[in-house]
This record gives sequence, C-alpha cells and structure tokens, in this order.
Amino acid sequence: MLQSIITQFLSGFSVVAILVISALGLAIIFGVAGVINMAHGELIMVGAYTAAVVGKLGGNTFIAIPVAFVVVGLLGLIIERGIIQWIYDRPLETLLATWGVGIILQTVMKLIFGPELYYVGAPKILEGGFRMIGRLPFPWYRLFLIVIAILLLALVFYVIFKTNLGLKIRAVRRNRAISGCLGIDAARIDMTIFAFGSGLAGIAGAVLAPIKSVSTTMGFPYAVDSYMVLVLGGVGSLWGVLTGGALIGEAETILSFIFNNVIGRLLVFLFIVIIIRVVPRGIFGYYERR
Amino acid sequence: MSTTRRRILQSFSGGLAGILASGVAPYGFVRNIVKAAESDTIKVGILHSLSGTIAIIETSLHNAELLAIEEINAKGGVLGKKIQPVVEDPQSLVQVFAEKAKKLLLADKVAAVLGCYTSASRQSVLPVFEENNGVLLYPTLYEAQECSKNCFYTGAVPNQQLDDFVPWILNTLGRKKFYLIGANYIYPKETNREVKALLQKHGGTTVAEEYSPLGSTEFSTNINKIASSGCDVVFSDLVGDQIVAFYKQFREFGITAKDIPICTPITTEQEIAAMGPENAVGHYTSFNYFQSVDTPQNKSFVERYKAKYGKNAVTNAVMEAAYFQTYFLAQAIAKVKSTDADALIYEGLPGQEFQAPQGKVKIDEKNHHTWLWARIGKANEQGQFDVVWKSEDWIRPQPWVPYLYPNKNCDFTDKRVLERLKKPWSQEKNRSGTIDS
Amino acid sequence: MPEPAVGDHLRSVGRSERRRYRAPPFVPLWALIGIAAVVALIGTYPYYGSNAYVLSLLGKFLCFAIFALSIDLIWGFAGILSLGQAVYFGIGAYFVALSLKINYALAHPTRYGGKFPDFMEWNGLTELPQFMTPLISTPFAVFCALSVPTLLGLLFGVITFKRNIYGVYCAVITLAEALILQEIIIEYQAYTGGFNGITDYSNYATPGFLWFILAVVVVFLLIARALTHSRVGTVLKSIRDNDVRAEFMGYNVANYRIFVFCVSAFMAAAAGALYAAWVGIVSFLDAGPVFSIEGVIWTAVGGRGTLIGPVIGTFLVKGAEFFLSGVLASWWQIIVGGLFIFVVLVLRDGIVGSIGNWIRKLKKGATLHQLIEESDQKAHDRQLEWRPGGPPPTDEPVR
Repeated sequence: MLQSIITQFLSGFSVVAILVISALGLAIIFGVAGVINMAHGELIMVGAYTAAVVGKLGGNTFIAIPVAFVVVGLLGLIIERGIIQWIYDRPLETLLATWGVGIILQTVMKLIFGPELYYVGAPKILEGGFRMIGRLPFPWYRLFLIVIAILLLALVFYVIFKTNLGLKIRAVRRNRAISGCLGIDAARIDMTIFAFGSGLAGIAGAVLAPIKSVSTTMGFPYAVDSYMVLVLGGVGSLWGVLTGGALIGEAETILSFIFNNVIGRLLVFLFIVIIIRVVPRGIFGYYERR
Repeated sequence: MSTTRRRILQSFSGGLAGILASGVAPYGFVRNIVKAAESDTIKVGILHSLSGTIAIIETSLHNAELLAIEEINAKGGVLGKKIQPVVEDPQSLVQVFAEKAKKLLLADKVAAVLGCYTSASRQSVLPVFEENNGVLLYPTLYEAQECSKNCFYTGAVPNQQLDDFVPWILNTLGRKKFYLIGANYIYPKETNREVKALLQKHGGTTVAEEYSPLGSTEFSTNINKIASSGCDVVFSDLVGDQIVAFYKQFREFGITAKDIPICTPITTEQEIAAMGPENAVGHYTSFNYFQSVDTPQNKSFVERYKAKYGKNAVTNAVMEAAYFQTYFLAQAIAKVKSTDADALIYEGLPGQEFQAPQGKVKIDEKNHHTWLWARIGKANEQGQFDVVWKSEDWIRPQPWVPYLYPNKNCDFTDKRVLERLKKPWSQEKNRSGTIDS
Repeated sequence: MPEPAVGDHLRSVGRSERRRYRAPPFVPLWALIGIAAVVALIGTYPYYGSNAYVLSLLGKFLCFAIFALSIDLIWGFAGILSLGQAVYFGIGAYFVALSLKINYALAHPTRYGGKFPDFMEWNGLTELPQFMTPLISTPFAVFCALSVPTLLGLLFGVITFKRNIYGVYCAVITLAEALILQEIIIEYQAYTGGFNGITDYSNYATPGFLWFILAVVVVFLLIARALTHSRVGTVLKSIRDNDVRAEFMGYNVANYRIFVFCVSAFMAAAAGALYAAWVGIVSFLDAGPVFSIEGVIWTAVGGRGTLIGPVIGTFLVKGAEFFLSGVLASWWQIIVGGLFIFVVLVLRDGIVGSIGNWIRKLKKGATLHQLIEESDQKAHDRQLEWRPGGPPPTDEPVR
C-alpha cells in the first residue's frame, strides 16, 4: 500500500509536468498581455496535429517540438495581428473573440484531418521505463515530460528576466505609454508575446500527443486545467505556474488513488475554489506582478 | 480600428445582415420544403457521431452505411428510386442525439434511421422513435434487456458474445481473477453485472470493479491499482477515446499481455489503428466479425471498403453490422413496396436474411434482434485479429439474459404484445415487446 | 454688471433643450409593438405551422432567451461576467426533471419492473432514495427549482463580492464552479442520471405551454426593465461604470451586486425549470461551462446592456445554427465562430446595441460600448494594481 502511494506520488510528478507545460503558454499570454485566450486548448491541439504530421513524414517527437513551436507561433501571430490587436483594451471581450477563434480552428482542423483520432508515437529511445520504487516501472517518456517542463520553465525565465526582449516585455507590461516614449514598439512586443505564448502551446501539444489521444476536440480540458493552474498559482508569475501545477497535479493524483478519478478531480476543483476565496489572486498573485 | 473604417464596416455589415436575413432564412425554409416534396428518392437518416469522444468508432459506421447505400443505388436503388442519405452529426452528446433524431423524423421525414452506438444515445432517441412511430436500426453490441417495437437490433447481445467469451477466458486462458474496468454509463454497468453472474456460474472471481467517465484519458491511477490488485486479467468495457489512452498507458507502464491480458467486447481494429498495433498485441476481443475473417464475402467487402476510404482503412464488427443492416432495410422496403413504418416493422424487416461478411445473418421474427456468429480474436502485430475461436453455428439472440431475468422474454408475435401495440402511443410508452412468462 | 442670480443659467436654456430632458418611458412604444408582434408570431405558430420539430425548437429558444437575459442583467447592467450561470439553469432544470421523472416512473414501471427511475435501478439502487421522496410533489420541486439556485446565488454572491473579486477572476472562478457541478452530476449518476442525463419522461411541448413560456418571457422582460429603470438600476449602472466612486458615494457596492446576482440566478433557474419540462431531456451539458459561455455569446451578439438584445441574439445564433447546419453541413461552425469575432470587433454592442447606437448617433449621443468599456478597462487595471493596505487606486488607467 505504501509502495503504491509512493509510486502514485512519483507519477504525480509527471501529471504536474503536463499541467505546467500546458499552462506556460497561457501564463505568457494571460499573465503578461492580459488576454483571456479561450483558444489555448485549440492551439495545443494544432501543435499535437503538427506532431502527427511530422510523424507521418518520418520525424519523431524531438523534431516535432521545434516544428510545432514555429507553426503554432505563426498561427498565434496571425491571430494577434488579425483579431487581438484591436481588443487589448477590452479584456472580457477577448474571451468571446478567442472563443470564436477556437471554434474556427476546431472546424478547420476537422475539415482537414477528419474527426478520427490520430496516432502519434513516442520516439523509440523513450519507450519502456526504469525500475524505481514500487511494482511498476516509471516510464521514460514521463520522465522526459518532467525534463521538458523544467527546461521550458527555465527557458521562459531566461527570456523574460535575462534578455533584452524580456526587459522590453516587462516594460510594456508595466507602463505602455512611457515605454513608447522610450522607443519600445509596443505593438511589436504584443505580437512577440502572443506568438511566443502560442508557440509554447504548440510545444505542449507536440509533447503531449504521444501519451494522450489526438483529436480535434482534445483542447478544451487542457485549457480548463491551464486556467485552474494560473488562477491558483497567481497570474503573471512563473513561480505561480509551478506552484499551481504542483498543487493541482499532486492533489489530483493522490486523491484519485484514494477515491477515484472523478472524485479526485472534483475535490481538486473544490479545493481551488476555496483557496481562491481566501487568496483571490492566486498564491503568488499578490507578491509578484510581472 | 479607426472610426471611419469601423463605420464603413458597420454599415456594410448592416446591409449584408439585412440581405442575409431576408434571403437566407426563407431560402432555408423553402429548400427544406422542396426537399420534403421530392418523391423520387427514399430518404434514410444516418445518425452517427462524426465528432467528439465516440467519433473514433462511429465514423466507421457512418462510412459503412454510405458504402452500402452507394452499392444499392448502383444496382438501381429500391423500388426504382435512389436512397438519399440524410446525415446528422450528434457530436457524441446524448442530448444532441435526441434532438437530431427528432429533426430526422419530423423535419426531414426519413423512412428509417440507421444510428447510434452507445446505449446512452440509443436510450435517449428511443422515446422519440416510439412517440413518432419511426424505425431505428441499431448496429451496436449492447447489454440487452430491451426490445422496442421501433428498433431493430443488428448488434450482438450478451448470449452472442459474453456467454462464450467469459468461459473461454476462464478455461482456455486459465485466468480466474477478473479486474473489471468500464466507462461510467449503463452499458458497462449492465455488462459487468452479466460478467459477474457468468463468473459465479463458471467459477471465477471479481477482484475489483471500477468506472471512469466517458472521455477521460488519464489512467495511471487505475493501472497502478490493477498492478497492485493481484488480478490476472482485465475485463474492459471502456469506450471510444478511453480505449486508446488506456491501452497506451497500460503498455507504457510495462504490463504485457502475457502478464495481464486485456479482454474486452468493444475494442476493434479501428481503435487499434488509432493507438498503434504495438499497444494492442496479445490482447483479446470477442466479436461476431473481424477484418481477418476468411469468407469470400468478407474479402470483397474489405476490398470495396478500402477502395472507397483508402488503403489504410480498417473494417470492424460494428460497421459490418451497419453495412448489412442497410441491406436489410433496402430488402425490407422492396418486400413491402412502401416506406410505411408499420409495414416495415411488422412485415418488411422481420425474417430478412443476408449473406454478410461474417456469414449468413437473419433478423429474428420474434424479437427483432439478429442471428449472429461468435468469434474471439487475439490482436497481432499488424493491427488485425487472429481468430482463435469461432462458434460452430449462428446463434439465436436472446434479448433478456436468462440467468439474470429468467421470467422475461421478447416476442412480437405474441398476442398480448400485438394487443399492446395496437393501442395508440401514450404516456404508457407501450411499445415494448417484453412479456413476462 | 448686476450679480448673476441663481438659476440665471437655466433661464438661458431654451425651452426645447429643457423639454429634451425627459425620463425614458417604462416601455417605449416601439418595444411594445415589437414584443406584441413577436409574441403573436411565436405563440400562434402551432396554428399556422405544422412542424412539431420547429415547435419544440421555439420553446427551447425561448428558455435560452430567458437564460441570456439573466446573463445580460448581471453583465450588461452590473458589469459582472459570470461564466457559471449554467449552474443555476442546470439545478433548476434537474429539480423539475427529477420530479417529472419520478412521477412518471411511479405511474409506469420500468422495463425491470421498478417503480422508480430506471437510471437509479441500473445503478444498483433498490428504491427511491429517502431524500428524494419530497420531489414526488411537482409544485414542491418547482419551488426548490426556483429557490435553491437563488440561495446558491446568494451564497456565491456573498463569498465573491464581499471579497471584492470581480472581473477576470470572477469569470474564471465561476467557470470552475460550473465545472464542479458538471462533474458532480456525472459522478453521482445514481441520483442524477450521470452522463446520459435524465431522459424519457414525458415532455409538455404543447401550444398551451408555449403561451405560458411566452408569458414568462414577457414578465421577466418587464421585471428586468423595472429593475434597470429604477433607482436600483441606476446605482447598478454606476457600479458598473465606476465602483469605487459608487462606494465613496455611500452605496454598498457588494450588496447591490449580490442582489442583482440573486435576481439573475432566479431567472436562470426559472429558465431551466421551463426547459426541463418543455424539452424532456436534461443532461450535465445544461449545467456546464460550455453552455454558460454560449449564453454569454448570445448576449454579446444580441447586445449586452440592452434588454431585447439577448433575446434576439439567442434566436439569431441558434436559428443560424439550425439553418446553416442543414445547408452547409461541415462549414457552419466556421461561420458561427466568425460571427463571434465579427461581433466583438465590429458590432461592439451587439446587434440591438448597434441599432441603438445608430439611432442615438442620429440624436448625437454616446455609444453604448463607450459607456461600458471604460468601466471594464478600469476594473481590470484596478484588479492588477491594488495591493492590500496600499493607497486606493485612482481612476486613470496606468497603461
């Protein structure tokens, strides 16, 4: 019994990784640009399909990651230039507009690829697992996911805090008008933010495709989970993404083991709602505002 | 957006909206009326999910029915008219099934509907068919315990699937400790009841029973429980997307089919194609039909299907039922020379026979279910099934499982049932063919 | 020069300008004519039209219209975006559906012979659960259907607004609440029918019931009009535009918000109750976030901040879905998605709102969205700027 719980805890790390990976893109878009992107799930979906196409053309997940980043990043750029740039000042209406974008993306993908599930395989190197505590081996691919999550977090941290671009992003976020006076092209920065966040969502899709099924409707649950992570951890904070993901991921895994999947998820939502009542802007929302 | 540009767009869109509102709406109405007035085609509704969590399997049913309609039309149609399929996509949502069924029967006025996969969808549309006296042909295996005047069941009932499968697992595979896992709705719950009853009868044990909501894709917790439970076989009634996620994660955690095989009455070649054959190798499915069945009808059927839908397309048992039920419908309409529902139900469909890819099949005159063959298959590396057991003869369907409901029977030739059906449809919902004996 | 007397400036105001300032009537004439025409058109459909399917759609759309109206009340007039209105709709619907189903099962035994709902039977229950027996009385169920969601709205309102959560965070939290309800319904399927929902109880899609639903729609429109037209309505609009100023003027902002939230929950619950009785099938979808967002979209398309807008928006979007899915089977969703984007970018006040703007512009007034958007943006900024214990935020946006 104890072994099983420990195994669950460890495999919970991979669930945390999945949550962090899917929420990062949204953290950039929502946290930095303030856009409620209801199409986040669909962007992940497009990333997953990109991985499927790459797989069909003979590549594997390692190749799919940068390809998905570029493809979905470009898509995000188009969305931003076409739609989002007009409505930055209306946060609640970005919700509606991006919901429309999400519907269009879903339908277009359905027309191109058909509604059946797609098969995306994991790369051969990462198959199988290694023996750890407990009866079941820990799959290599899930370890890969944890590594990717850490890498992505580090990447985003580096870009936002250690590069010139990140400095500009933070400046525009803090005070658009003055940044303009200082010569920073706010429109360009907006484009970059949205494209970067979309690219991250694409990577999420490419990386998650092998372990879950790929279909045109796979996106919404990921969007929901990402929002929960952000709301719990605090919008606009990278530590928040990690904390939110960790809390939700582990709680869900352990509660699912003790009770069952559905009750586990339910309790996690209740837990989030209660915490939000107490700490309305998320755990790290009060102290950091980037 | 600058003000002038917005104003121009607004006035343009206002005008466009006006034109559309005055044009499209009446156009749609008129078009529907015109369609209904066309009398040189026979309209048949096709109600299968083309999107959503069950689309993975239901699209193949839709494809098979369209193939059958194409073939029938190529041979001249029925009664000199072509069959026109009216396709609706209920998106795997039970509510939408009921609404689209209403639309097909009342707005499109179809002769019959070929539809549904999950028992939940069938149960939600059946009241619509009973109230409006429509005809539904249902191609999917299900948990039985039902017979409605307005539904013809061409899929397997437990005595054509489970009754041989469970003893086979116990005796031939030698696995006695069952872990039951299924989706959270009526079909898996009823099926697991039947499995447990069979286990009691034949000497097996149930180690655990678990249900997962439809559409969920995270099974690591369940697999962990399976591994630590001490079972030696998993009996799965997972449905749709769940199957792909479960098998993939099962293998990911390193459990092979030799350790703990997954035995299921649901997984088909279709789901195996979506998950990749290496995730399914060595697991077992029980069905009436597999793509690898060796009959001349099947070889030609598979060829024709691949010719229309691509060489990577696979066939499976449920779409094979969808295919031959379309022929049943066409033959029935030809026999009674009309599309009147009562004529089809009382005279046209019962007793129809067809040489299907699985073998000869027949609609039983008494209970409106279908005589089918039973087979058990083991998944191989090509994504196909090797047939490891086959029934000697076709099996008569028993819609009321005798070991759970020994006192009930389904008989549409019985006087009591006919009396009941003569009465107009009312709140009593008196369209069942069940009698207590 | 003689000292200007008090009121001198009024004397210089022309009689025409003074006459222009007239409080708008309770129900303007055009609205009266329009509503009467639509009611007549829809209510008499059973007599000139014979399609039972269209009849069922009309009743359904009317229930959705009430739902959209409830969303408009809190969003358009009070500035609260709640993505969880479906919770109240769903609870109202489930109470009524359960009651009707239980009564139906009592009269007509299931195929297994039990006198209680079939979904309970195949879930392993052997008889109707004790706590559900009061639902046998349908009037009591209707009472529960209306009161429980209102009380729940009160609870949510208190917890949310007393802690000053609004804007984006309110939206996401209400989304989470809708999800929770959805999951509860799916999980406890022995009591709720789960994924399948509650089906197969008789529905009451009769012309008489259609008139009843129409009457309810009109009554709710009048109630909403009374609310927005009264002092309470004016305070709500001022809260929407600048809640800090309203607070400084002495109005208890949280209480006003809670009040309008409860009214909106009541309306949504009523819509749900009617829906359950009319359509004959309820499922978890009616209580989930997707349905909530759809309601928000209908409101936005029709015109947030107007009263007729949500009704028209509902009929337009659902009607478009109905027509287009028949004519353009695979493409219609693209058009619907495009419609949302279009409404957000171009028709910023929705269809009715844009018509109102156009008329207003003829009279040289401000557009609706100008009035609303400023409050949105300010609220958004204040959410991000204010730290507890710090100085109160100013009105100017920081961006």
